[in-house]
Amino acid sequence: MSDQSSTKTVAFDVVGVSKKYPGVTALDDVSLTGYAGEVLAICGANGAGKSTLARLLAGQEQPTDGSIHIPGWDKPVSGPADAADAGILLMHQEPMIIDDFSVAENVWLRGLSSAGKVRPWGLVPRNRTKATREVLAKVGLQDVSPDRLGRELGPGLRQMLALSRTQVNEHSVLLLDETTASTTEEHFKDVLALVEKERSAGVSVVFVSHRMPEVFSMADRIAVLRNGRLVDVVATRDTTPAEVMTLMIGQAVSAIEAPTTVSAGGAPALTVNALTSGSATDISFSVQPGEVLGIYGLVGSGRSSILRSISGNQSRDSGTVTVSGRVVRAKSPGDAAAQGIAYLTEDRRREGFVKDFTNGENMTLATLKHFSTFGIINRRKENARISELISEYQVKGGPTTYTRTLSGGNQQKVVIAKWLEARPDVVLLDEPTKGIDVGARMNIYQIVRSLADDGKAVVVVTSEAEEALMLCNRILVLKEGRFVGEFTPATSTTDDLIRASLAGETA
Amino acid sequence: MTTTSTASDIKPDARAGFDGRRLGGWAKEQYPLYILILLLIIAGFSTSAFFTTQNLTNLVLQASVIGIVTLAQFIVVLTGGIDISVGSVVGLAGVLAAGLFSGTSVPLAILVAVLTGAAIGAINGWLVAFRGLEAFIVTLGMLALARGLVYAYTEGIPVSPDATDFRAIASSTVLGFPLIGILWLLLAVVIAFLVRRTVFGRRVYASGSNKEAARAAGIPVRSTIFLVYVIAGVLSGFAGFLLASRVGVGTPTAGTGYELNAIAAVVIGGTSLVGGKGRVFGAVVGTLIFAVISNLLVLLNVSTYLQDAFRGALILVAVLLTTIQFSKRKKAKQLT
Repeated sequence: MSDQSSTKTVAFDVVGVSKKYPGVTALDDVSLTGYAGEVLAICGANGAGKSTLARLLAGQEQPTDGSIHIPGWDKPVSGPADAADAGILLMHQEPMIIDDFSVAENVWLRGLSSAGKVRPWGLVPRNRTKATREVLAKVGLQDVSPDRLGRELGPGLRQMLALSRTQVNEHSVLLLDETTASTTEEHFKDVLALVEKERSAGVSVVFVSHRMPEVFSMADRIAVLRNGRLVDVVATRDTTPAEVMTLMIGQAVSAIEAPTTVSAGGAPALTVNALTSGSATDISFSVQPGEVLGIYGLVGSGRSSILRSISGNQSRDSGTVTVSGRVVRAKSPGDAAAQGIAYLTEDRRREGFVKDFTNGENMTLATLKHFSTFGIINRRKENARISELISEYQVKGGPTTYTRTLSGGNQQKVVIAKWLEARPDVVLLDEPTKGIDVGARMNIYQIVRSLADDGKAVVVVTSEAEEALMLCNRILVLKEGRFVGEFTPATSTTDDLIRASLAGETA
Repeated sequence: MTTTSTASDIKPDARAGFDGRRLGGWAKEQYPLYILILLLIIAGFSTSAFFTTQNLTNLVLQASVIGIVTLAQFIVVLTGGIDISVGSVVGLAGVLAAGLFSGTSVPLAILVAVLTGAAIGAINGWLVAFRGLEAFIVTLGMLALARGLVYAYTEGIPVSPDATDFRAIASSTVLGFPLIGILWLLLAVVIAFLVRRTVFGRRVYASGSNKEAARAAGIPVRSTIFLVYVIAGVLSGFAGFLLASRVGVGTPTAGTGYELNAIAAVVIGGTSLVGGKGRVFGAVVGTLIFAVISNLLVLLNVSTYLQDAFRGALILVAVLLTTIQFSKRKKAKQLT
């Protein structure tokens, strides 16, 4: 881009790369060059394709179109062992630490990789305590004993331990995929120092992130992705965080009919007071009957903790929850359901439905008592209701199809039907459109809005600003476990929400 | 797709077509039944001694006790668990039924056997469901513990009950059919009804298939699993009494190795060891397959040592068969 960079040594060259998954184009004709001794940040909103690009660079997946060139490596990089030989080191968002290995064993983990050669007689070198201590010292872990187990370390230390491999393994490209997501401020300084060291050693560092302060404190250039396309590559000194964020967000998708504010006149259906649980701290809010409240925040901001603790899926440290004037302390999801709270999980496959059950069996699972006398199920009554539900929610495949074989959208309809059978006053939805394609989303949105029209209090957790603005009457923005702003769709833009969730500044 | 006005018109048709498909689908999944039929044909042709009233009665008598133990194993496996203590429970329940209160009253003996099974099942269930321990290791411990108690109680000598009618239940027949076999089939029907038609049964399937989803749907997963082990204990205990009744004494070695037979029969019957899938009918057919094979090997004078090897081989073959898809087999045949 700038004249300076063209004189530098090329560390990797991405040429016209596209990556298509069934139904989704994750990356579309991206060309990008990385240089030795430079930190390149890759920024973008959720789903912009940043992690896909990192995975392609690391050779974990192959591009559908285009190619990636690494100087001194004449074939495509495929698989982690190959990547290591080509000099590419990928650091994941979740540090790759083996819990039952000692710190020292984790440092030298690469020694276990046989890079395609199986040599069972190869012995693990012993007595490397001194070398281990030296490596640890280089990443600020001089106080950590090499004999401790991986599982004994906190998230920040784990990430630094993973990063210590940069000192052990030869590499010319270092990929940091949201590596700082789980590190604290304190460890971020160590990461920053490490990146500085790498840069001066002539390594090409690629830093994938959406955290503006971190990007601006270490990157030389910033590549911005939006919906799989490379929007622009800018030099850090020529731009501002606000500019980069505008590039990331782009044009907001036009909303369907804008939700209006629900008057806060009557008694709220759900009141949460000073709730603390997991990463959510001192959370208070209330929802009116007929209102859809959005909770917007990044992954890890404590969004799920709020919903899971209200619905008895997770214990809470303190705080009170009131549903229609009754104080509710749900010990289990069944307890919560009995008291009028339904929670629709983010992890549909694990918690949403039973995998060996048909649509019909899944739909009645939470309300079997409605269809039984003395514990014996009245099949006719059950099947009649199932037929009604199937046509009401337009679930594909009918009552005897296994839910696991359906698309995400249809699975979600089954889960919604199951919970609405319990006739809850409060419906909590955790990422209701996760893994659901655009067409089916509108269907889900309509169902959610009709819930509110029926007078239920609805809370929607989402990591998509557009979805929040399209669906909710009111939006609370969560950052690091605390609410940092309240928005109404009529007077806010996606920009406002993202800004608040990143920087914590109220508009 | 269907509007409410046409739904009532469509229903009868749809139901008729639906039933036909269900029958076809049912037939497609009954490979254990086909194995059994094939075995019966082979048995009929290989020895004339097989299809005789006396031999078939004998076969049913042998199958019934194991059949009830298999039902116990079946319901535990449905939850994704396993109970390898069933054989020892059979042994303990048998000797206690014959020995406690000197075995003077048959109803009392049945009560003792059933309560013994329930108590052991409750301990297993509590450790597995509420303490979160591995079912395999819990019931392995129980296998040794219960068998140890059997030997401690009997000192290795069979226990003779005082009641003169102790053998009555096992030896009586109804219209020429052994009562013990009727009891087995009756219990099979009860368990089938329990798992297929009751809220409890639906909970068992849900807990076995997907614990997290079941819990999230408000199902008391732990108490469901606990109760399953208690039911399994009750069934095994009752089987223990029947075995003692058949033999006439409480034998210390009674029920040894039953866990292997029961697990194999359950698996051959198409129940998934991971839980959440399986039918009682399959477990009954699985039991019969084993009974026919054992019976046939005896009739053909195969050495007792080889009989065990045959049974082991059958387990392996049957399990292998379950991994091969019906359609795939058909395709392979068309190609050759």
